Amino acid sequence: MRRLTWGNAYLLVVFSILYTPIIYLLVYSFNSGGTMHHFEGFTLEWYQEVFHDTRLLMIVLNTLIVALFSSLLSTVFGVIGALAIYYVKNWRVKQALLTFNNVLIVSPDVIIGASFLILFTLAGIQLGFVSVLLSHIAFSVPIVVLMVLPKLQEMSPTWVDAARDLGANEWHILTRIVLPFITPGIFAGFFMALTYSLDDFAVTFFVTGNGFSTLSVEIYSRARQGISLSINALSTLLFLLTIVLVAGYYWISRKGSRLYGMWKK
Amino acid sequence: MRKLVQSFIAVLLIALLLLYVSNRLNEAEGYAGDNTLIVYNWGDYIDPELITMFEKQTGLKVIYQTFDSNEAMMAKIAQGGTTFDVAVPSEYAISKMKEEGLLLPLDHRKLPNLKYIDPRFLNLSFDPNNRYSVPYFWGTVGIVYNREMLGGKKITSWNDLWDKNLRNQILLVDGAREVMGMALNSLHYSLNDTNKAHLEEAKRKLDALTPNVKAIVGDEIKMLIANEEAAIGVVWSGDAAEMIAENDKLDYVVPKEGSNLWFDNMVIPKTAKNIEGAHQFINFMLDPKHAAQNAEYVGYATPNKQALQYLPKEITEDKRFYPDFDKIGHLEVYENLGKRMLAYYNELFLEFKMHRK
Repeated sequence: MRRLTWGNAYLLVVFSILYTPIIYLLVYSFNSGGTMHHFEGFTLEWYQEVFHDTRLLMIVLNTLIVALFSSLLSTVFGVIGALAIYYVKNWRVKQALLTFNNVLIVSPDVIIGASFLILFTLAGIQLGFVSVLLSHIAFSVPIVVLMVLPKLQEMSPTWVDAARDLGANEWHILTRIVLPFITPGIFAGFFMALTYSLDDFAVTFFVTGNGFSTLSVEIYSRARQGISLSINALSTLLFLLTIVLVAGYYWISRKGSRLYGMWKK
Repeated sequence: MRKLVQSFIAVLLIALLLLYVSNRLNEAEGYAGDNTLIVYNWGDYIDPELITMFEKQTGLKVIYQTFDSNEAMMAKIAQGGTTFDVAVPSEYAISKMKEEGLLLPLDHRKLPNLKYIDPRFLNLSFDPNNRYSVPYFWGTVGIVYNREMLGGKKITSWNDLWDKNLRNQILLVDGAREVMGMALNSLHYSLNDTNKAHLEEAKRKLDALTPNVKAIVGDEIKMLIANEEAAIGVVWSGDAAEMIAENDKLDYVVPKEGSNLWFDNMVIPKTAKNIEGAHQFINFMLDPKHAAQNAEYVGYATPNKQALQYLPKEITEDKRFYPDFDKIGHLEVYENLGKRMLAYYNELFLEFKMHRK
C-alpha cells in the first residue's frame, strides 16, 4: 500500500470538496420524499418521470445533435485554422493570430452570447437550431485550434522535407505525414468541443428560442421553479454522460499515443 | 488518415441518425408545420393538462416557453427573433409594451368568453377597454410566515418586519417595485409615490431592515421558505399559496398598511404568426371551467366570475387569497411611472441591495 503523504491528503480534500455537491444531488435523485432536505427512501420515480417526458427527450436529442454537428464542423475548421497558423512564417503575425484565438477562449461567455444575439438580430436569423449551432461552432473552433497546434509544433519539420525529397506533393504531405501525426490532437479537440457544447449554458441561453432549447438551459428554467427531483435525475444522467465522454477521450488518446509509438518504430 | 476519415463519417452518421429520429419524433408529436402556437408565460403558471386539452380540441400544437421577469420577456419580444403568439405580462409591463408598439390589438368578436370576467377587472387604467389585454390572474403582495419558527407570534403589518428579534429571518423577493412598495406602504405613502423625499425616506427605512434580511432571491424563495430556511418571506400571493400547500406551518397575510394589487394578463405580441390560434387560446383559457381548473393548479386568484362556482369553497372563501374588494381599498395597482422614475426606483433598490449590514 502506498503511504498517505500530505500531497495525497490535500488532493483527497480538494476532490471531496469538488465532488460533494454533485454526489449530494446524485443521492437525492433517488429520494422518494420529494425534497432535498430529508431522505426517506429509495425510488426510481424521478427517472421514470424524466423518461416519460417527451419534450425533455426531444431536448436531450437536440442537445446531442447540436453537440455532434458543432464539434464535427468546428474540428474541421479548427484543424484548418491550426494548419494556417502553423504555416504562417512571420512571427509577429503568428503571435497575433494566436492571441486573437486565445482571446475568444478567455472572454466571458455572457459577452459572446450577447454579441451573437445582437448579430443574429441584425442578420435577421431566427433564433433556434441554426443560431445555436452557429454559436457553438464559433466558440468551439478556438478550442480545437489550441488542442491541435501543439501537436503540429511537436512534429519534426525534417519529415516534411524528407517526404518532399522522395517526391511527395503537398496533398501527400498533408494526408500521409501531417494529418496522421496530429490525429491524437484532432480527437482531443473534437472531444473538448463536444463537452463544451454539451454543457454550455451562458451562450446558448442567449440564442435559444422558438421552442428550441438545450438541456442546460432547460434545467436552469426548471430549477428556478424549485423542488422537483426530476431535475436531480436529469442532472445525474447528464453527469454520467459527461463521465463516459471523458473516459472515451482518455481511452482514445491513450490508444492514439500507443499507435503513435508503433508508428515511430 | 483512414482512421480520421472513418471516425468523421461515423460521427456524421450518428448525428444524422439522431436528426432523423428527432424529426420523426417532432412529426409524431405534431410539432412540424404551421399548426403550432408558441405561448410565452411565467414558469409553472398554467395547468399542463389544459394545454393537452387545448391541443386535442383545436389540433394546434402548443410550444410552451417560460420567462422569469417582465423585463426579460419584453427584451425577447422586442428583439424579435422568436415568434411568440401569446404572452402573459403584468399590468405595468403592458403600458410599457403599448408605448413601444409591441402589442397587437385583440379582436373581441373572437373572444366571446370575455363576458365571464368580473367587470371589476375590466377596463382598468393600464389598458382602457381591454384593447390589448385580457386578465389572467390577479393577486397581492404580502408576507408569508412560519408560525412555528416565530413561536406563535402573529404578523399583521409591514412594520412588524422591523422587529429587532427577527434578525436574519426575512427573505425578500427580488423586485424593485415590490420592495420599494413595501417600504413606502410601511410609511403610509402610496406605492406609486414619485416624491423624491418620500422615496429617500423609504430607502433609509429599508437600510434599517438589512440586519433582518437574510437574502433577496427570485423564484427559489418558494423552495427556501417551504424548506424552513427562513421564517418570513415577502412574496406574491400565489407563491404563498404554493408554499402553504407544501408546508402547513405557513400563513399568509396582506399587511394592514396596504399593499400591491396586481394583474397578469394575456396579450398577443407583435411577433405573433398564428393570430387566429392565439385568439382561440385566449378564449379557451377564459372558459369558466378551464379558468377554475387553472386557478386550482396555479394557486393565484382568477378574475373569472363564473369560474368561482367550480372552485372548492375553501379556496374561494379564503380571504387571504380572495380578499373582499370593499375591504381592500388600501390595495393599489402599480402605475407606469415612466422611464426616469422607474430608473430612480431601481437605483434606490440597488443601493439597498448593496447596503452593508
